[in-house]
Amino acid sequence: MTAIAQELVEFPTALVKAREGDHDAFAEIVEQHEAMVYSLAWNFFRDRSRAEEIAQDVFLQLFRNLASIESPSHLVFWLRQVTTRRCIDVSRRGRLRPVSLEEAGEIPARERNRDPLLDQTLQRLIGELPELQRVVLTLRYQEDLDPSEICRIVEVPVNTVKSHLHRALRSLRKRLESSR
Amino acid sequence: MNLDNELRNTLRRKSPAPGFAGRVLARIEEDDARSSFVSKATDHGRRWRAVAASVTLAAVLAGYASHHIAEQRRIEGEFARDQVLLAMRIAGAKVRYAQQEVRAIGTDRTEEQSSIGEVDN
Repeated sequence: MTAIAQELVEFPTALVKAREGDHDAFAEIVEQHEAMVYSLAWNFFRDRSRAEEIAQDVFLQLFRNLASIESPSHLVFWLRQVTTRRCIDVSRRGRLRPVSLEEAGEIPARERNRDPLLDQTLQRLIGELPELQRVVLTLRYQEDLDPSEICRIVEVPVNTVKSHLHRALRSLRKRLESSR
Repeated sequence: MNLDNELRNTLRRKSPAPGFAGRVLARIEEDDARSSFVSKATDHGRRWRAVAASVTLAAVLAGYASHHIAEQRRIEGEFARDQVLLAMRIAGAKVRYAQQEVRAIGTDRTEEQSSIGEVDN
């Protein structure tokens, strides 16, 4: 099989069509990855309106850069990287277009058999972590990535990622214990 | 408590409000419309700038041409004045020379007449 034929087999039809300007195909891609992008932003800011706005911006940017996407795995990597960068950028600049609560949607329902107080405390403590620790922690536990994958997304050495992860976990343990 | 499990639960993926893809597409269309408007406005502005540049260029050329003509006339005028002055100087010299000649002839004749008179006497 030639390299081009191989790429066509591996390249999903939706991506090919979206590249040609097909909005329905692009909507299919958005639906496939919206939870990942939205959650990265939500777990960073703990704010539905900000998460919605950032997720919309990221997909808008993706639509303009579809030609640069090389494969489905590159698409996922690209979305994770652009979302985390945008979260840090927005957090530093404090700049956002207001999104209505209708657009932002409902607060996701909590799982049963979980301690709502612990969940709330963890959310608050994660929100208080420094930006990079929060990003590394989110990529580790939301996306289940290992430090070698995280370091490619945040573009820092793998040892720095490990150190941020270690510090974040130590800080969370310590503060959880003191909050009990 | 297992912190790893708690973090996985707390940081689990959440879905945005229903219709998210539709909202993204709406923003893309809104963005496209804005870009098209900006592009049209830019084209319009570019056309006006071209017209303004042409008018300015024409004015500059006209100004340069009129200045050039005036300068040419001034040079020609100065040349003509110099010619007239030179002609007048030449004419003056000629007149002076003629006067001197006339005076010299007059003096010679007077001297001749007085010497004839002296001889007659």
